Amino acid sequence: MGYGDVQMIDENGIRVDGRKAGDVRPISIELGVVPVADGSCRMTWGTNEVIVAVYGPMEAHPRKIQRQDRAVLDVRYNMAPFSTSDRIRPGFNRRSREISKVTSDALESVVLLELYPRSKIRVEIEIICAEAGTRCVGLTAASVALADAGIPMTDLVVSVASGKINGVVVCDLNKAEDNYGEADLPMGVLPNSGELAFLQMDGDLSQEEFQEAWDYNMEAAIVIGDYCAEALKNGGYNL
Amino acid sequence: MSIPLVPQLLRSHLVELAENDQRLDGRRQWDGREVQLEIGILGNAEGSAKVRMGDTIVYAGVKFQTMTPYSDRPNQGGLMCSAELRPVAGRKHEPGPPSPESIELGRVVDRGIRESGCIDTEALCIIPGEKAWQVILDLYAISDDGNLFDAFALAGIAALRNAVIPFAKYELGDDRPLDVSKTPIMCSYHRVGGRYVYDASGREELGGDERIHITLGADAHVHSLQKGLKGTFTAGEFAELMEQARIKGDELRDLVHSLEGGN
Amino acid sequence: MKGGSVARLDNMSGKGNAAGPHDSQQAPLLVAPGEDLGDSEDYEVGHGVIVMDGRLRATKQGQMKKDGKSVSILPSRTKYFPRPGDLVIGLVEGCTNNIWFVDIGAPFNAILPMSLGPAKMEFGGTRSVIDIGEAILCRVQEVEETHSSVVTMKGMGLRKIRSGVVEDIDPHLLGRLIGRQGKALRQLKEDTECRVVAAENGRIWIDGDFEGMLEVRTRLRAMTAEAKAATPGGVA
Repeated sequence: MGYGDVQMIDENGIRVDGRKAGDVRPISIELGVVPVADGSCRMTWGTNEVIVAVYGPMEAHPRKIQRQDRAVLDVRYNMAPFSTSDRIRPGFNRRSREISKVTSDALESVVLLELYPRSKIRVEIEIICAEAGTRCVGLTAASVALADAGIPMTDLVVSVASGKINGVVVCDLNKAEDNYGEADLPMGVLPNSGELAFLQMDGDLSQEEFQEAWDYNMEAAIVIGDYCAEALKNGGYNL
Repeated sequence: MSIPLVPQLLRSHLVELAENDQRLDGRRQWDGREVQLEIGILGNAEGSAKVRMGDTIVYAGVKFQTMTPYSDRPNQGGLMCSAELRPVAGRKHEPGPPSPESIELGRVVDRGIRESGCIDTEALCIIPGEKAWQVILDLYAISDDGNLFDAFALAGIAALRNAVIPFAKYELGDDRPLDVSKTPIMCSYHRVGGRYVYDASGREELGGDERIHITLGADAHVHSLQKGLKGTFTAGEFAELMEQARIKGDELRDLVHSLEGGN
Repeated sequence: MKGGSVARLDNMSGKGNAAGPHDSQQAPLLVAPGEDLGDSEDYEVGHGVIVMDGRLRATKQGQMKKDGKSVSILPSRTKYFPRPGDLVIGLVEGCTNNIWFVDIGAPFNAILPMSLGPAKMEFGGTRSVIDIGEAILCRVQEVEETHSSVVTMKGMGLRKIRSGVVEDIDPHLLGRLIGRQGKALRQLKEDTECRVVAAENGRIWIDGDFEGMLEVRTRLRAMTAEAKAATPGGVA
């Protein structure tokens, strides 16, 4: 591998930010951060910071976008221009469009849209500060914001990514690991049922490594799911 | 941006309130909402600020890029200011290309800062005619409950004042703070129920008419003015707004400076 | 009309389980969406609960309520959902020759056909009777499964709102505003000498002298702030 000379994990299995292979970065969750929205959530995850606002369910305009049997879920993922090291020019962006779509697909699997024919639910995911894994933070925060808005859903969706760095499988890649890593496996898990609603992967993993990454994600998702549930019940987590 | 319906009851109620020197949330004519200002809060921006005025919340982030100076100004860098009204900020804000309103917002804030001369563009020059710094100020609304103009202007100047030029990242030497010599402050007034009020809330804007934005420096020099929306005003009204903007501007400038003292 | 809004306090709970916040005996059990609430056998499913694979599951964030055989969730926050018979305050958003389109603060707009309007009128005369931007006190007549819904202005006290002001509160705070047997609302009206109509969609029509209306609004704001402080979720 081209990055073989970059040492990202030491002989004791300690990563650049001091974590062990299976550790997740610190997480905090705050609700009601967008006072004009129907539901909202601010999630920090490592140095990632994401704000999600939910509007609706409300009358879908224009009429032609209405669905007679269910609500329309309108999800937008967007990175603020100052969220990354190099400024992002505002406007159309293929990466953001794809993430918006897969996030929407994942959320549609849990939101009971059939209860709101002819309505629209808007989910606005704004990445304020990006480290690595913003799509995972965005999806997780979106499911918490939907719950905060009182929108009925069968489960939360908790998303986390594991990957491989210097040949070692590790959980929840940080920015340096994401840049120099050999593989990335983000998953969206329903913490109560253990089913998956979101899956992507890129890189190079053996079958054994893949299983290890999968297991890390599953374990982490259950723990993060508990954080989310606690936040919803107590107005926040780890503030 | 979709135009929200103006409820007729609200409009007549605002008139009644104005006649009795009252406002919807109990404030007086020239009272602002409580202002919370935080600086240096965004890890990936070279300068940043967050402003909360009531339920209006905005972020400002400063980024730097290198640019080739314009041929007619080979010794100068540049300043660019852009405001985004993303649909996250409220029900009425819709996705799509920048609305005329967001462009107006960005440009009015930009003029207030640029024309105050608080940033010496010649100091941004790295190699004359070849390389200079471009300062990019991005204004980002998270929650719109009225008066985004003042919130953006305040966050913008506060973010610039704590910005650090990333010389090291571009291998040009050691990082240096951006030199911002002044603190221009914008004060906005909306005609609500027939009279002008300071810092209109979202509901007041809904039932309001024209608005006037005044940006003043510490020496009360005027740096930018803008009249928006339909409606007319008199010279007498404007003189009073200018007087009020001096008082309020000094208060907000002190707030910005008080945070810097702690650093 | 006086009693219309007072009659039904359990705006948010599903049909057949009227357990309001005041009836709670045991400590509230807080749940998040997806949480398992036990075996579904012998239980009836109320608001905010579904059955999946023979297990009861919460679909909303809030307090779990067991009322006899029925399990439901009292949500911390939820949108107003219209049911036939609800007294609501609507805002006219548009009209055609014989129909008004009314925003009732629900996930979908309602229509008010000319035949259910406040007065007899000519075809094409809708705007001269109720104009766009005006508010009406009306009742939900019908909500179809596909969410076509109809409101009516035929009935005691239903009318166009010509004076006063309309304020919004979260619909789940209506119980707090109205109080047991309408006591709190009655007290509020007495203290301020205002007409206060609390519609089920969380819109409150306040009409009276100027000082009285200000006082009602101050109290509504205080109530919302108090509810916010008292809710574990921090959001009212």
